[in-house]
Parts: sequence; structure tokens; C-alpha cells
Amino acid sequence: FLAQKRLGGPGSSPPSCRSKCGSCSPCKPVHVPIQPGFSMPLEYYPEAWRCKCGNKLFMP
Amino acid sequence: VLCPIASSLNDEGKALMSIKESFSNVANVLLDWDDVHNADFCSWRGVFCDNISLSVVSLNLSNLILGGEISPAIGDLKNLQSIDLEGNKLTGQIPDEIGNCGSLVHLDLSDNLLYGDIPFSISKLKQLEFLNLKNNQLTGPIPSTLTQIPYLKILDLARNQLTGEIPRLIYWNEVLQYLGLRGNKLTGTLSSDMCQLTGLWYFDVRGNDLTGRIPDNIGNCTSFEILDISYNQITGEIPYNIGFLQVATLSLQGNKLTGKIPEVIGLMQALAVLDLSENELVGPIPSILGNLSYTGKLYLHGNKLTGPIPPELGNMSKLSYLQLNDNQLVGTIPAELGKLVQLFELNLANNYLEGPIPHNISSCTALNQFNVHGNRLNGSIPLGFRTLESLTYLNLSMNDFKGQIPIELGHIINLDTLDLTGNKFSGAIPASIGDLEHLLTLNLSSNELNGPLPAECGNLRSIQIMDLSFNSLCGNIPAELGQLQNIVSLILNNNKLQGEIPEQLTNCFSLANLNVSYNNLSGIIPPIRNFSRFSSDSFIGNPLLCGNWLGSICGPSLPK
Repeated sequence: FLAQKRLGGPGSSPPSCRSKCGSCSPCKPVHVPIQPGFSMPLEYYPEAWRCKCGNKLFMP
Repeated sequence: VLCPIASSLNDEGKALMSIKESFSNVANVLLDWDDVHNADFCSWRGVFCDNISLSVVSLNLSNLILGGEISPAIGDLKNLQSIDLEGNKLTGQIPDEIGNCGSLVHLDLSDNLLYGDIPFSISKLKQLEFLNLKNNQLTGPIPSTLTQIPYLKILDLARNQLTGEIPRLIYWNEVLQYLGLRGNKLTGTLSSDMCQLTGLWYFDVRGNDLTGRIPDNIGNCTSFEILDISYNQITGEIPYNIGFLQVATLSLQGNKLTGKIPEVIGLMQALAVLDLSENELVGPIPSILGNLSYTGKLYLHGNKLTGPIPPELGNMSKLSYLQLNDNQLVGTIPAELGKLVQLFELNLANNYLEGPIPHNISSCTALNQFNVHGNRLNGSIPLGFRTLESLTYLNLSMNDFKGQIPIELGHIINLDTLDLTGNKFSGAIPASIGDLEHLLTLNLSSNELNGPLPAECGNLRSIQIMDLSFNSLCGNIPAELGQLQNIVSLILNNNKLQGEIPEQLTNCFSLANLNVSYNNLSGIIPPIRNFSRFSSDSFIGNPLLCGNWLGSICGPSLPK
């Protein structure tokens, strides 16, 4: 999917998460904060996409 | 005479005893590292041995508040696969001998007080996959020989004092997944080679002294999920090519970026966080940013952006933070922002916005902070604001708002800051203000308020700052204000208050700043407790008030 985007031009989309959670469903993309180890209080963390099913996270 | 203690341990045991010896503060935590009573070092705390060879394979002494230094003897533990000394108070240098631990896969020395250079010998660790030295006091350059570690996946050198350039060779690594360099003193430019990191998802050089431009081919870094080059001195324009990135977080804030926000960013729907704040960006906010329907945080504040706020931003249905403050935006606040039901913070302060606050904003029921300070907004406070039950911060100061302060404001029970300074609000202060029991700051200064100061203000039990100066308040200072046990500043100057200063105010023990000057107060200043520390500046301009300042009716007489 991403490869298709790249060929087609600029732009991106959230991961589809299709069949990324193993046998678990529904599998949906969510924002997950990534703690850069050491951050100032009140600073937000960078975020990445992960696939979520129940309370389990999977790589997209 | 043979020493029986020494002979009971093999070389690895002796190395462990040397390691213990160079640590300090070991008394309690390494109690069982005792070659006299327990020569089986594989059973010692934090020591893990291979079942068959009985050789030490792992040393885990994290978060034990160990002091002292890392002994060079660590190099004698040749079968170590993992060292974790994270979260101690270790000082001194990283010993060169660590390069002799040829089987090391995992090396974590983060959160200590280590200084000196990163030893070149680390590049001898050909099995190393995880190297974390973050949050120490390491100096000198990033050794370019780190590139000779073939399987390195995680490299975290953040929060040190590393200098020099990021070695270009480091980018020619298809295995590296995580590059954390934030909070150092790295110089030089970002190389176009950085996109050779084809397996990298986390690129973080925030808070260094990098200069130059964003490489024109940045869009080739297609494996990146997080790109943080914020708080450097990056110049030039944001390249069009950035639109090919697949990142979830794009942090470019705190640089010296110029030119316009490229329209192509509006196609980057994978963005969860877009931060372009505190640069020198000009031109309008592209309305195509409204396409970013998965973005939760949009920060464009502190630039030189002009033109109106595009109504299309109301289509960013996942938005929780929108900060457009400190720009040169004109026009009105679009009613479409009312569609942002997840909006938590809206900051439009210090622009040239005009017109009223649209009633639709009351539909942003998740709103916690609303700041429009320093614009040219007019009209009155929408009554719908009473439904914003999550609101804790409401700042309408320095605008042209008028009308009464609605009684319903007292329903926004979670408010901790209410700032209406510098408008044309008129009428009386509603008694319902006293219902805001969590209020810390109440600033109604420089309006056209009249009527009495409501006694209910004495119910504001959390309040620390109350500024009602430069209005036309009349009547007495309510004795109930004496109940305010947390108040630090009580500023009532330049009103028409009369009567005596209630002696109950002397019960406000935390009161450090009092200003009741330029009113019509009379009687004597309570001569007790905290009132002795207030200078005459707190009281002047009350012709009938008796105090000991020059010119007061009962003060020292004026010199001839």
C-alpha cells in the first residue's frame, strides 16, 4: 500500500492494520506515544502508529 | 603463605570482586558479593551465568544507586552478553577494556554520571545490538567507528555533551532502527545520506546546534516513523519533498525555517503530530491542512503566519491540540472549529483576530484550555460556555469584549484561571464567581466593572491571585476576603472602594502583595500581623486613610 503511494506521488496514510494483529480482531490503527527516554515535564512525546486489538499492540 | 580467599575464585570471580571494589555505596546492595562466605558468584545479585560453562553472561545492577566507577576488570568477563548498569550514580570514564567483552549484545550505561569520551574500543563489540549511553556527561565526538558494529539496532546517546558532527558513515546502516541523539552539542548539517538508514524508524536530533538546511531528498527516508529535528538552527525552506515521508511525528519546531508551509504537508495523512512552531514561517496556513483527519496535535505558533484561520481546520476531527498563537493571523475565528469535539487546547493568542467568539465553540465539549489573549475580538462571552465543564483555563484578556460577565461562568466549576483583563466588560461582578472553588487566578483588571465586590469572593478557597484593579468597584472590601487562606496577591487599586480595610484581612497569612491604593478607603490600616510588611505604596491615594506615610492624614507632616 505504501509502495503504491510512493509511486503515485507524495502523501501518506495511517496503516490499514489488515491482518496485523494475528488472529485477534478487530485490529485498528492507534497513536502511541514513544517516550524518548528523557523528556521535560509538560512536553508531549512523539507518537507513532501501532495496530491495536483489545489491549494488545502490534507493529503495523 | 597462600591466601585461601583469592584461590577460591576463578578469574571471573576475581574480576567481579574488582568491579565491586571500584563501586561505592555497595554496603547493602551487593551484600552477597562476598568471596569469603559465598564463592559461588553465579548466585550473586545481578550476576547470571551460563548453565554449562558457568561463565558470567549477564550483569544487571540497574537502579541500585551505586556510586564509584566501572572497573577495567569488566573486560575480563569475556563471555558477557549483557551489561545493564542503568540508573546508578556511576562516575569516571567508560573503561577501554569494555571493548574486550566481545560477546556483548546489550550495553546499557544510561542515567549515570559518566564522563569523558565514548571509547573507540566499543566498535570492537561486533555482536552489539543495543547501545544506550543516554543521560550521562559524556563529551567529545561520536566515534565514527561505531559504524563498524554490524548488527547495531538501537543507538541512544541522548542527553550528553557530545560535540562535533554526526559521522556520515553512521547513516550507511540498514540495520539501525533507533538513533537518539537529542540534547547534545552536535554541530554541522544534516546529511542527505541520512535516508540510507533504510531500517530506521526513530530519528531524533532535537536540541543540538545543527545548522544548514533540511536535505532536499528528505522524502526518501520512507522508513522513518518519527523525525525530530526540533530546537536546532536549521535554516532555509521546508522542501516539497517532505511530502513523501510516511512519518507519524514531524517535529521541526524551534529552528529558523523560512518560507511558506508547503501545501504538500496536507497530503501526509499519517501525521499524528505536526509541529512547525517557533520558526520564521510566513504566508497563510494552507487550507489543505484540513485534510489531516488523523492528526491529533497541530502546532504552528510562534511564526509570522498571515491571512485567516482556514475554516477547513474544522475537518481535523481527531485534533486535540491546536496552537496558532503568536502569529499575524487576521479575520474571524471560524465557526467550523466547533466541529472539533476532541479539542483539548485551543490557543489563538497574540494575533490580529476580530469579530466575536462563535457560539459553535461551545460544542467543543472536551475543551480544557481556551486562550485568545491579545487580539481584537469583540462581542460578549457566549452563554454556551457554561456547558464547557472541562474548561480549566479561560483567557480572554486584552481584547475588545464588552457586556456583562455572565452569571453562568460560575457553572464552569473546574476553572483554575479566569483572565478577562483589558476589555470593556461592564456591570457588576456576579456573585456566582464565588462558586469557582478551584480558581487559582482571577484577573478582571482594566475593565469597566462597577457595583460592589461580592462577599461570595470569600468562598474562593483555592485562590492565589485576585486582581480587580482599574475598574469602578464601589462599596466596602468584604470582610469575607479574610477567609482566603491561600491568597498571595490581592490587587484592588484604582477603584472606588470605600469604608475601612477589614481587620479580617490580617488573617490571610500567605498574603504577600496587597494593593488597595487609589480608592476612597478610610479609617486606619490594621496595625497587626502581615500588614506591617506592606509599604505605603499599597495604601497611597486614599485621602481619608490613616497611615504613617508622608502626606497621610495622620502621617508625618509635609516638610515646608
